[in-house]
Amino acid sequence: MTTQVTLDETGAPQPARAPAPGVRRSGTWRLGWSGVRTVAVLELRQRVRSTRWIVALVVWFVVVGAITLLTTGALGALSGSDGATPEQTGPLLFSAVTFLVLGLGLLVTPTLTSTGINGDRNAGTLATLQVTLLSPAEIAAGKLLAAWAAACAFLVVSVPFLVLALAMGGTPAWSIVRVVLLVALLLAAVCGIGLGWSAVVARTAGSTVLTFVTVAGLVLFTPLLFGLTYPSISQERDVRVWAENANGTGCEWQTVPMTVASTERTWWLLGLNPFVVVADGAGTAEGVAENDYYPQEPLGAIRQGVRQLRAGEQVEQDQCWSAAPGATSPVTPQAVSRAPVWPWGLAANVALGVVGFVVAVRRLRVPQRTLARGTRVA
Amino acid sequence: MAETSLPADVAPDPAPSPPTDGIVVRGVARSFGSVHALVGVDMHARAGRVTALVGPNGSGKTTLLLVLAGLLVPDAGEVRVGGVDPLADSRGARARTGWMPDAFGTWDSLTAREVLETFAAAYGIERAAARERALSLLATVHLAEFADRPASVLSRGQKQRLGLARALVHDPSVLLLDEPASGLDPRSRVDLRLLVRRLADEGKTVLVSSHVLTELEEMVDDAVFLSRGRTVDAPVVDARSGRRTWTVRALRLGALTDWLTTVGAQWRHEDPGFTPPDPAAAGGVLIEVDGDEGAAQLVRDAVAAGVPLTSLAPAGGSLEQAYLALEEERR
Repeated sequence: MTTQVTLDETGAPQPARAPAPGVRRSGTWRLGWSGVRTVAVLELRQRVRSTRWIVALVVWFVVVGAITLLTTGALGALSGSDGATPEQTGPLLFSAVTFLVLGLGLLVTPTLTSTGINGDRNAGTLATLQVTLLSPAEIAAGKLLAAWAAACAFLVVSVPFLVLALAMGGTPAWSIVRVVLLVALLLAAVCGIGLGWSAVVARTAGSTVLTFVTVAGLVLFTPLLFGLTYPSISQERDVRVWAENANGTGCEWQTVPMTVASTERTWWLLGLNPFVVVADGAGTAEGVAENDYYPQEPLGAIRQGVRQLRAGEQVEQDQCWSAAPGATSPVTPQAVSRAPVWPWGLAANVALGVVGFVVAVRRLRVPQRTLARGTRVA
Repeated sequence: MAETSLPADVAPDPAPSPPTDGIVVRGVARSFGSVHALVGVDMHARAGRVTALVGPNGSGKTTLLLVLAGLLVPDAGEVRVGGVDPLADSRGARARTGWMPDAFGTWDSLTAREVLETFAAAYGIERAAARERALSLLATVHLAEFADRPASVLSRGQKQRLGLARALVHDPSVLLLDEPASGLDPRSRVDLRLLVRRLADEGKTVLVSSHVLTELEEMVDDAVFLSRGRTVDAPVVDARSGRRTWTVRALRLGALTDWLTTVGAQWRHEDPGFTPPDPAAAGGVLIEVDGDEGAAQLVRDAVAAGVPLTSLAPAGGSLEQAYLALEEERR
């Protein structure tokens, strides 16, 4: 036996502990394409091989297709009775498919990233990536890119049905481009949100729930909150009304106390909603929608409705129901701004995604000073 | 204290050739909440040598390796890995360090070759070079035939070997191996030992933590003992001259014990607590002997006294004895 054992002594506790050493993390945001690609390819390979990916896409295709066909059939039956033209059923179908794809996308996408970081940490594969020369930003961006690509695969599979709805007529062709782009960007935002939660929460179940809650917050809580705050923005006011006079001979100006809701203060809640973002940005029935005319299809109707709410209650109202057709009303029509709502909503959604991404990058920095509760580094 | 002086305020070294002053740790402490994983660690693992990191469960071995791998910030103290401070130049330190964790997670659906190529890419190695590197490493760890099988079908030992190959993918100058031998079959252990020795001979710094002390003993040059988060001074025995425990065996245990008792030697049964074995059967006892000289003397005297001696051998390695002598064995 030739082993020599050399010992380094000490063990005496340091009388006064030195201050914690400073950490310089200069390379956190270094972002190179090859690094991002390495992580994205790794994630996609892992995802494509480990889950029944093709099965999921086929199921998606079948579900979206079935609902599209059922909707078509239902619309056809309706049009048979009241003689609606394809110009009217086409936009309806387009709206239905758009909302279906967006809704299902918002349901599926959270699962793509919400276990991205804590899942890897639990599997013991995260630390081995962190010790490589990949920067935290590259790891996070690669995961985001892979998840977004997967979400977009679902979107692409749905495109044929949007084309089908488009082919029925009544929808401008650019609407399909706008819808696909908007949905893709919204799903990217959801990916970022999921990534952020997965970096913050130790348990995968927890981060998944929180991601779903965040998405539900955007989709369900925004209209709910709008509704709940409605009484607080409503107040009794005197409104000038062009209404029938007492003896029924014509209309005259009257001052009537009415409950008026200042929706211009809360419309932005609805603007946050992904469905409103897509509806407003889709650009269907643009031009036909004028002040008091609501488009017949949901996308245009939502757009018109939200813009109306943004404008607030009219200061003058026309209640002269008995006016002869063709009689001119002295009520100045309210000028509803045609400025789009979707840039605000999209920006807010994307900002949430960016926050998630930044949180994830910061949590991926090594060496770590603090650990998430209940986790080990490796 | 066999510690070299630190170069004054080491600047991040832009030169690609890694400096070879190994691993230097001074006064490192790290707590997780109320758990003081590391209290005061001072050590120096030299380049070109294999250093064992020995300690009971929970003594802080893995935490120390995490600090050295650049994953954890110590609460206090200084660390230099390959001459680089992982806190000041994390990237530079990571480029020089190969870390093999105790639990090696794999991406189950990737093949062994893809795992290595992915890591090569993660270290910025070009694709063609990465492919070549992956193949040669798979051959090194005897996994060439599993190159295109998913990592999930590998056995624990094979995964361990893949983990070792992963740690070597960027040809690091400092290797941190956390329990590398666990799960390995005897053949793989021999291979690991030869590989580790070869890496050290190439001038790399190798720090190995393990519980399999007899395995360690055959590959390490130095040892660092950790106990309750401290590097401790263990009574280390010089194999040639120090007093240590030997196992003496004879054809008839009774003859051996009778003779040992008459000459006044302090002996004990191999397995205390066991019912005394049959004195007429073959058996062995443990006895403290002063070095090789004392052992030779013992053999001479026993044979002269007619004891049917069959063997005399050191009981366990010097690392094991030092380990067992650590006061705080288990927490």
